[in-house]
Amino acid sequence: MKTFWILFAAEWRHFRAAKGLVLLTSLVLLVGLYGIYYGTSEINRQRQHLAELPALARHNVEELKVKFPDEADAGEIGYYHTTFAVHHPTPWASLALGQRDVNPYYVKLRLLGLQGQLYASENVNPTKALSGNFDLAFVLVYLFPLLIIALCFNLLSYEKEQGILTLLLAQPVSAATLVAAKLAFRVALVLGLVLVLSGVAMLWAQVPPDGRVGLWLALVVLYCLFWFAVAFLVTSWQRTSAFNAVALVGVWLVLVVLVPGLLNVFVSAARPVPQGLELTIKQRDEIHGGWDKPKTETMNRFFALYPQYRDTATIKERFVWRWYYAFQHLGDQSVQELASAYTDGLRQRYELVNRLNWLSPAINAQTSLNALAGTDLPAHLAFQQSATRYHDALRGFYYPYLFHKVAFTHADYAKEPTHTFTSTSDPTTALSGLGKLLVSTGAVLVAGLLLFRARPVNPR
Amino acid sequence: MMQSIAQKEFVSTLRDRRFVVLSVLVLGLLLAATLVGRARYRTLQQERAVAQQTVNDQFHHQPNRHPHRVAHYGSFAFRPKSGLSLLDSGLDSFTGASVFLEAHQQNSVNFSQAQQSGSLIRFGELTVAFVLQQLVPLLIIFLCFSAFTEERETGTLKLLLSQGVSLRQVAWGKVAGYGRAVALVVAPALLLAAWLLFGQEEVAGSPDVWTRLGLFVLSYAVYFFLWIVGSVVVSAWQEHARSALITLLGCWMLGTIILPKATANVGAHLFPTITKAQMDAEVHEQAQRGINGHDPQDKRSAALKEGLLKKYGVTSEKELPVSVAGLVMAESEAYTSKVYQQHFADLTRTYERQNALSTWAGLLNPYQAIRPLSMGLAGSDFAHYVHFQQAAEAYRYQLVQRLNQLQAGMGYGDKERKLDAATWRAIPTFEYEAPPLGWALGYLLVPTLALLLWAVGLCWLGLKVIDNTRVA
Repeated sequence: MKTFWILFAAEWRHFRAAKGLVLLTSLVLLVGLYGIYYGTSEINRQRQHLAELPALARHNVEELKVKFPDEADAGEIGYYHTTFAVHHPTPWASLALGQRDVNPYYVKLRLLGLQGQLYASENVNPTKALSGNFDLAFVLVYLFPLLIIALCFNLLSYEKEQGILTLLLAQPVSAATLVAAKLAFRVALVLGLVLVLSGVAMLWAQVPPDGRVGLWLALVVLYCLFWFAVAFLVTSWQRTSAFNAVALVGVWLVLVVLVPGLLNVFVSAARPVPQGLELTIKQRDEIHGGWDKPKTETMNRFFALYPQYRDTATIKERFVWRWYYAFQHLGDQSVQELASAYTDGLRQRYELVNRLNWLSPAINAQTSLNALAGTDLPAHLAFQQSATRYHDALRGFYYPYLFHKVAFTHADYAKEPTHTFTSTSDPTTALSGLGKLLVSTGAVLVAGLLLFRARPVNPR
Repeated sequence: MMQSIAQKEFVSTLRDRRFVVLSVLVLGLLLAATLVGRARYRTLQQERAVAQQTVNDQFHHQPNRHPHRVAHYGSFAFRPKSGLSLLDSGLDSFTGASVFLEAHQQNSVNFSQAQQSGSLIRFGELTVAFVLQQLVPLLIIFLCFSAFTEERETGTLKLLLSQGVSLRQVAWGKVAGYGRAVALVVAPALLLAAWLLFGQEEVAGSPDVWTRLGLFVLSYAVYFFLWIVGSVVVSAWQEHARSALITLLGCWMLGTIILPKATANVGAHLFPTITKAQMDAEVHEQAQRGINGHDPQDKRSAALKEGLLKKYGVTSEKELPVSVAGLVMAESEAYTSKVYQQHFADLTRTYERQNALSTWAGLLNPYQAIRPLSMGLAGSDFAHYVHFQQAAEAYRYQLVQRLNQLQAGMGYGDKERKLDAATWRAIPTFEYEAPPLGWALGYLLVPTLALLLWAVGLCWLGLKVIDNTRVA
């Protein structure tokens, strides 16, 4: 054990002397801090934007109060009044932004047909979206493997190429102790960095101290250990440094770039979702068809859904709001199947990726971190569902005014329902990701140990 | 002599098993990416063509309606994929596919691919451009990192020079030899792509697409040349093969992964994007200063009516040959459209400012020069997207104004009447004409310049380094 610590200390001295490595490590640390800064400020910006929405809604009400100084027809208010369904982030979102930048985090709603409003996109610079987010999750999933590769590609081959290995092994030191001490030093260094960065990020983002802290740390530590296991496997092969570097970068390329790219192609081919375009077209046609259909036909279809309004006055006027909103409502009703097919299709895509993510620990780590942060597709779908319920609540609020011909007064604005939704972490997905990560790390480690045992270290 | 050095490098590269394995892999990926790109192109294109046809038919087969009803019914514009986007899909996955065209407002382009998938898409997509921009340089690095170091370590460099060859000649010979090897890997995939393109009847006869493809190939040739020269120079400069390899891999990571992401993020941070909600509120605020088409009590509407009465020399609205409501609508549309266009132009300018940092970074990083150049030539970059958005808006505006004029022509009491169904069949539908190459080139000056500067600068610097190379 003593030799182990002597070797460990020697590694530390070597590391300090190697300017390149110190520079690289500090660079990764700085880049990680920038990632944390970027993630937190991005989420803060989203929070600030969300905080500005009530003011916009209030301003809209003020305008309406001026426009309709006395009592008004609720139909007019429903038409001109805009309100927002909002999607608040979890504090964890700062660490893994996921899809929160491309999916809108609020949706502007009026009493009109929902399906025409629900898919409006937020202003997103596509060039920036293509380049992706520079958040902590990116640094951990993408860049840490590269740091580990840079630290480990010449783990034993350096000594061999310098001719030191013969001298070293002539001492009472076994090759296993040597490799263990060298690896242990690098593991300690990298995990130290991971823990420092994660700690800083958690404090900065003010995450609540619960089980998710442990889950995040377990995920990122295990992910780094996976890459150390890969490096150990390649070291056990005992080839030249150049070969090791090529092999390790190759593995990185396959797991972090190629498998995700191929999987993406496979998933979009296996689960096509053309319903998005289809449903907006159909909904529009249904709604506008409403103008040309006989009013009694429209109202009877509507009353089948809302029998409580069946006894209201028959419509004789050329235009009346309750008829207008009835065919808006029926427009949504007619595409309900398409809408749920669309949502189901998206969810199936996500689940298919989750089923296959054992193919690459990088995808696994990324999806698990995003699930923990509540920033992936399911969080957005949950938000859309919540926005749909909110729109239903708005209908529930306005319909009595419309059908019982109750005038809308200034006091009624305050009674209108409001919406808030905060995404939740998905620990189940994260935990299953952790399980899969454990299996892949274990498998590679065992393969490395077997290879190491099968090939006695050749000092030349 | 240079010829025989090139020949020697070419032949020995082909005999190197590692290279053969790697290049077969890269070639396989290129071919796969071409076929995948082609399949995706076809699915998306067909989906959008069918959708466009559907809405066009719907528009033409409307029953008797009031023109303003039709203006609200509106239409959709679906963005067709550009022919070359099967090679480089660029921003296509992150830009929307369809925009709803209706009276009174300019809508956002919705339903992007990125919104329809989980975070997997953020790992990047497997396209021909991705293989060419990121993987082929890696292949080049593996091929060239020992170009000089090996000759030096085995002592063959001395022997070569004793034959009366200059170091420069050796270097150029190597560059030429490796160039041939790389061309051997890349050419089959590009030929396949060209053949697939030729199979598309809508593209086959278009000289524009062929010129774009030609320039596409040419830019990548320059890009690969940069990597080959760079790798050979680093190999001459570094003492050991190992350190040459590490240096080159470091440059690759910095250039293709870290810098592009960092510059895009910093750019977006420096010039914040206005939110859609804020933008809508501002548009609404400003549009109110104009005439409101749906508000007959509006003061400006009254003034317009007065003017009309005077112009036609009549005393009441009933006697007017035109519908006041229709003209008010037209006036209001002109005003709000201007407000919308101004805000969308501001938004585009914000995006351009954000992107400028990445574009200028092309001077530091050839990857950030080839990426916009490749997207631009493939017709899948930001400029092409904006072009579509503007074309859709122009169509929307003229459609709505045409309908407003129809309404105006209906005379007094138009609200009680409808126009015949045949009217809608006479209105042309949205046809998108992608901009020509000459237009696209205007946006690609900086990346082109950056790539050329790199080529000249690297050759100049390389020669200096090569001249000072130690022989043993």
